[in-house]
Amino acid sequence: MTDATLSLQSDADQRAIAALRRKNAVWRRILRDPAAAAAALFLFLIVAAAILAPWIAPFDPYASNMRLRLCPIGSDRCAAYLLGADNQGRDMVSRILFGLRATLGIGVLAVAVGGGLGALIGLSAAYFKRLDQPLMRLVDVLLSFPSILFGLAIAAVLGTGLFSLVLALSIAAIPSIARIARGAAQSIMQQEYMEAGRAVGLGDGALIWRYLALNCWPTILIYMTLQLGQAILLGAALSFLGLGAQPPTAELGSMAADGRKFLTIAPHVSTLPCAAIFLVVLAFNILGDALRDAMDPKLRQ
Amino acid sequence: MARHIAQRLMISFPVLLGVLLIGFLLLQVVPTDPAVVVAGPTATKAEIDSIRQELGLNEPLWIQFGRYLGRVLQLDLGRSMISNRPVVDEIALTLWPTVELMLACLLWAVPLGITLGTLAARRRGTLIDRAIMALSVMGVSVPVFWVGLLLIQYVGGAGLLPFQGRDGPIWSLSGFLSIVLPAVTLGAVFVGPVARMTRTSLLETLGADYVRTARAKGASDWRVTIRHALRNAMIPVVTLVGLQIGFLLGGSIVTETMFAWPGVGRMAVGAITSSDFPLAQGAILILAVGFMVINLAVDVLYAYLDPRIARS
Repeated sequence: MTDATLSLQSDADQRAIAALRRKNAVWRRILRDPAAAAAALFLFLIVAAAILAPWIAPFDPYASNMRLRLCPIGSDRCAAYLLGADNQGRDMVSRILFGLRATLGIGVLAVAVGGGLGALIGLSAAYFKRLDQPLMRLVDVLLSFPSILFGLAIAAVLGTGLFSLVLALSIAAIPSIARIARGAAQSIMQQEYMEAGRAVGLGDGALIWRYLALNCWPTILIYMTLQLGQAILLGAALSFLGLGAQPPTAELGSMAADGRKFLTIAPHVSTLPCAAIFLVVLAFNILGDALRDAMDPKLRQ
Repeated sequence: MARHIAQRLMISFPVLLGVLLIGFLLLQVVPTDPAVVVAGPTATKAEIDSIRQELGLNEPLWIQFGRYLGRVLQLDLGRSMISNRPVVDEIALTLWPTVELMLACLLWAVPLGITLGTLAARRRGTLIDRAIMALSVMGVSVPVFWVGLLLIQYVGGAGLLPFQGRDGPIWSLSGFLSIVLPAVTLGAVFVGPVARMTRTSLLETLGADYVRTARAKGASDWRVTIRHALRNAMIPVVTLVGLQIGFLLGGSIVTETMFAWPGVGRMAVGAITSSDFPLAQGAILILAVGFMVINLAVDVLYAYLDPRIARS
């Protein structure tokens, strides 16, 4: 720091490194909590399984074998199907792996699109003071509105299907990310290097991208990850209602709805996808709680 | 206070306009030409054209939107394409069951949540606290439909309680029995957030000066908790319950669909999946407006409970 020739860029670098160290400290604190560490490990395995589904799934999730219809778990009839078969005689293990892939994929896509838009809104609100009021008012409106109604309205106008589902989940993800991004960006707006950047003649775009966005993204990304739990839960509910993924697509919510008709004779067909959704969302929420505790010094005593 | 309410209404207005625009759009995507329907199957092209003119279908969309607004204000939401009954009548039939379901859910879930939250705050850091908090995070993570499926499988399937439809008003025995499972399903996801909010808010107030004063006066532990801290801690809890009305609405749409409960949510989902656009428009409109009205009421209540809100 005593180096007199310290350039602007390296100053920004130093701050980025310091911010990263703080982030690492936060992560270390989170992982010291055994429940949060278990949740993180579980999510890592689930995401790996979802990505690798086409290679690790023992069977084709769409190959039906009517002789094995509703075959229960552990039956000799379908010994190769570890978790039994569904109402079309399809392997439950493979369907759940592909279902996780679809459900997580839909969630990730929606949070990436909605979160990206939200981040843009939040950063713009922090940078352009004139836009702050109108943009945040819009965000308040979005935040106050029940996300499931976006799902209903979009499905009604554009028809049911994956596109409508992702669109609805994206809109639902915008407001909370916008708030986080604005908060993070506002603290950076007060840093001296913002002033310095302006003084050397950088334009708005360069300032927003190089200083605001690059300094805020770790915070925004963490919150986007945590938002995934909510997106998955909402997406599964919409698919369960028949407004999202449509059968025969292996998606956990629509699989649960599909198996509902066989609840009394073959409960595993709908229980397994439900349990999978529950565990994934639970892991995200446990991790989210740990993060909130770690970042809020008031609660940490 | 009046200014506060006026401000809130100002925020709600653009949302309402947006919702109405969606409703209007829904009627635009109807695949059948209304003029053809009115003219009947034997009409010539000229006749259809003149009816088109008469119905104002040739006018620019924004004028048609204005007309639509006028019709909505007169509670004319068109007719269902499937039952051919006025949408308003269909909504009137489904509105009360939905309100009934939500009230039945709040009636047990909110007191239980507050009790659990108070218990957790009083026994902070103990096994009881951790168990309640674990239960609460599980409650917000579980898909509503799984709770419903489990109840249908184990309670309904065993013939203990009905799980298909609504059997009369809540005050009749059969009506009461039929609402138990849906209300338990919907409330199960609601207890968690209420318990958690009560705990957080109570922990804050338990540290406040007036609580220390009460303790110094020699009031007993539970008396301090309930008389002094809990009453002040209720303000955020009331807001939370208000804010979670949207969440409750989402849950009720799923619950109604699962239990064949004849409410607005089930009707909305049915209308969308069967492409009954006028009915879907009406259902979405009433859900959104209902949500906004409840929100406004909670806001006013909040300002009443805590006058500092209205003044700021």
